[in-house]
Amino acid sequence: MTARIIAVINQKGGVGKTTTTVNLSHALARAGKKVTVIDFDPQSHLTVSLGVVTVQKNGIDQVLLGAGNLDEKLIPVRKNLNLIAAGARLQEIEQLTETKVSGSDLLRKSLDNHLMDQDFILIDCPPSSGVLVANALFAVDEILVPMTSDYLALQGLSHLMGTIKKFEKALKKQYRISLVISRYVSTRRISVDVLETLKKYFPGQILATVIKETALLAECPSFGKTIFEYRPGCRSARDFTSLGKDFLDGRVM
Amino acid sequence: MADKDDGSLIGYDPLAWLQASQDELASDSAIAAEEPVIDVVVEEDSLPEAPLLEAIEDIQLDTDESVFDCAHESEDKTVVVLDSVLNIQNVSQLHQRLLGLLNDNSVIDIDASAVSMIDTASLQLLLVLKQTAGSLQKNVTIDFPSDRFMEAAELLGVTELLGVDQPASGFF
Repeated sequence: MTARIIAVINQKGGVGKTTTTVNLSHALARAGKKVTVIDFDPQSHLTVSLGVVTVQKNGIDQVLLGAGNLDEKLIPVRKNLNLIAAGARLQEIEQLTETKVSGSDLLRKSLDNHLMDQDFILIDCPPSSGVLVANALFAVDEILVPMTSDYLALQGLSHLMGTIKKFEKALKKQYRISLVISRYVSTRRISVDVLETLKKYFPGQILATVIKETALLAECPSFGKTIFEYRPGCRSARDFTSLGKDFLDGRVM
Repeated sequence: MADKDDGSLIGYDPLAWLQASQDELASDSAIAAEEPVIDVVVEEDSLPEAPLLEAIEDIQLDTDESVFDCAHESEDKTVVVLDSVLNIQNVSQLHQRLLGLLNDNSVIDIDASAVSMIDTASLQLLLVLKQTAGSLQKNVTIDFPSDRFMEAAELLGVTELLGVDQPASGFF
């Protein structure tokens, strides 16, 4: 069985990549799917958000450096949900310039014939434009872009799409791209205008459920909990359950 | 920056190029479907049953232009994919081709991801190409340099001159 491998990408920080990865992956796991999340951000926010707060010496960094494989680095964090932590040396890989380590297909190679029993593998990418994101783009056929509804997010998306199209040409492939609207503030007119602009350029690609900006989503990482654990039944928990269904069933705006 | 339009709070639309890009792709597909862009004469019944694009690639492998493929061309921009082996034997052919592209385009993206061997002569050619392009106010970028390409460029100390000295050179 081949897992769907999805890179959660946006080089703009603070758009909700990690929040989306954490809660969407848990929503999928709660729906009975086998999910592995890879913390590909040297800041290790995904790892902390899932309650793994001690510095992990063994993570995706070691796999990329050739020490071990993905199956050996799995940390079961919830039922049906595994984590591969970032590891202490991921930042070094982002910054290394030696030819032997700057290869952009390290992640793709490490995924070959591993995690074969998983339904989904989500890769939480860093808010940057470097070797790590390049590795993610080489490794996946599917991209999920969390988008906030402000003007500068559109600027960031424009830059990201330019990069993606360059990769598509070079790698001769077409990514399946989905957008998720996150941190949405419905009372702001700019939010509505940005959303309409996105619908115009990405018809059929925006997942149907909008994730609203709430204090609870900002709070739960500090306790290492997902929204389903932090405040079960709250609006955000229902939104992420719905988002999980959108993702599984292909429900779009 | 564009003026506000119809009361929208989106002044300048940073995604407008996406629509133009999609229109261009649709137009290229329509043209490709109507008229194969190939120079060689091929017997109809010798064509494989693969989609037109794959058939074109199969045929191009047999032509003289084996040093690289042109992945995409627009009016003043082109993408060139370098072949695996670049050496003194094929450098003059590469030179002729790049000269022609430089005359016809103001932007050339060179994909060096497939390079498994490159010698000094070929690197020097690329260096001169970049310098010449600069003097003509044109742009030549080397994208996705392979490990071998980088090793050779580092050995000669020309990574910075070729613009491939960043770890994710050409990616972003």
